[in-house]
Amino acid sequence: MLRKIVLKRALVENFNWWSDDGNPLALLIFFNRNPVLPVSDLKFEPKQGFTVCGLTQGTSMIPQGLTAIKEGLPYLLEGALVNIAVVLGAMALGFALGLPLAVGHVYGNRKTRSLIGIYILFFRGIPLLVLLFLFYFGLFSLSGINASAFTVAIVVLGLISAAYQSQILRGAILSLPEGQMKAALSIGMSKKKAIFFVILPQALRLSIPGWSNEYSILLKDSAVAYALGVAELMARAHHVASRTYQHLYLYLTAGFIFLLLTYLGTKGLNVLYKKVGIPGYLR
Amino acid sequence: MTMGQTILRVENIHKELGGKAILNGVSLSVRKGEIKVLIGPSGAGKSTFLQSINFLVMPDQGRVWLEEKPINPTDKKALYEYRQQVGMIFQDFNLFDHLTALANVEIGLIRVKGMKKNVARGRAMDELERVGLKNQVLQYPAQLSGGQKQRVSIARALAMDPKVMLLDEPTSALDPELIGEVHSVIRDLAIRGMTMLMVTHQIRFARSLASEIVFMENGRILEKGPPEKMLSDAECSRTREFCSKINEMSGHLC
Repeated sequence: MLRKIVLKRALVENFNWWSDDGNPLALLIFFNRNPVLPVSDLKFEPKQGFTVCGLTQGTSMIPQGLTAIKEGLPYLLEGALVNIAVVLGAMALGFALGLPLAVGHVYGNRKTRSLIGIYILFFRGIPLLVLLFLFYFGLFSLSGINASAFTVAIVVLGLISAAYQSQILRGAILSLPEGQMKAALSIGMSKKKAIFFVILPQALRLSIPGWSNEYSILLKDSAVAYALGVAELMARAHHVASRTYQHLYLYLTAGFIFLLLTYLGTKGLNVLYKKVGIPGYLR
Repeated sequence: MTMGQTILRVENIHKELGGKAILNGVSLSVRKGEIKVLIGPSGAGKSTFLQSINFLVMPDQGRVWLEEKPINPTDKKALYEYRQQVGMIFQDFNLFDHLTALANVEIGLIRVKGMKKNVARGRAMDELERVGLKNQVLQYPAQLSGGQKQRVSIARALAMDPKVMLLDEPTSALDPELIGEVHSVIRDLAIRGMTMLMVTHQIRFARSLASEIVFMENGRILEKGPPEKMLSDAECSRTREFCSKINEMSGHLC
């Protein structure tokens, strides 16, 4: 309890990332009202003078690179938090939409299935960058919804992820033996109950390895939010690099942070997979 | 043998799958306490027939009565109600793999019958004890032997208080050594007066239990009669041929 309060306070004070009305949906609205710093507002000022390599008074490149990393790191890590927020938001939205899509795709009637098919074709078939621009500069601004770039990034990545997550889950549902549904029906369960109590608990477990793949893709895709001007990790790396001239070092650092986040996330999902694994059930 | 009223009656079941007629007008009725054994070559339609009785396979044509009450499978609520009363045992057990033995039996009581959790637990424990699995209640299906799994599935069906049980080759996926334990559970059911319709090729078992043996081929019932007659001196030559084959296999000539 105390930890929760402390965490909440930390979020409010440091990042202003929490709404006080306790509504989880308000988080998105909140983001929208208090947009994450856009790229144009980035103001990294190196404390020490940097020089373009080769034109300077004899200092070697390596110490300059390391100093740039040291100075830029807190700045980059703040950006990494933006990426994490985008990924978590998109994963959650993708799951909330992907689950009914998967169930509809497997058990729905022909019309439902073809509608879901069209949705999936649309969001899997158009490049992320095109969709981001389409939504940010197109749909959202035309329809008069005032959404921040950050929100649009979460929404678009979430809609794309829903398409992929629905297919991960659909594959898992289809991989279950047909007898599971038959057995559930045979004791008098309705189809809905059978899906909810018998099929999904098993299919969700089987989906975890697929999700870890989806997580790593989303994390890397979140860097494309840069194109909308979201000051995420890559945007900040570029910003710092252009003020210190240490591009190689800054991009290496950004790459390393992405790598670390991918590693930690997939590792975490792997732990979860083992934790919820069914005893004796080897897959 | 004394027989009560008709529990289950099916008439003129037709089913076509992929343009091929699997069932060509199968009719059958089972009276209270009766045990009917279905035999026949593979592809005869025995499994499809059993599954169309409780509409897991939707028949193209045909009608079903439970205790003389016609069943309308398009009425979902009535269908779910009916299926509770018709226990089904599958060849490959079909236990819910993510649940313990206990939870497998409880789930129907809680989610279908709406029982309170602790009441359901007591009932499920009783059923598992009855099939001799008191010490395995907290194991998961993957930790149980085939015979144990089939006994859990019988307990799961029994917990719903079925009026009749449909058993689709309950021991054909089992090692020879595990068949006995499942047979003895089914024998207990018979002694307690459970009405059953069973597909099996365990001919000695069928002979000792069945009130009638029904021979199916090509989606039709060719012949039926008491086990002694069917297995030694059937009227139809095709039945005789099939029965002598399975008699040979079980090492007993009749």
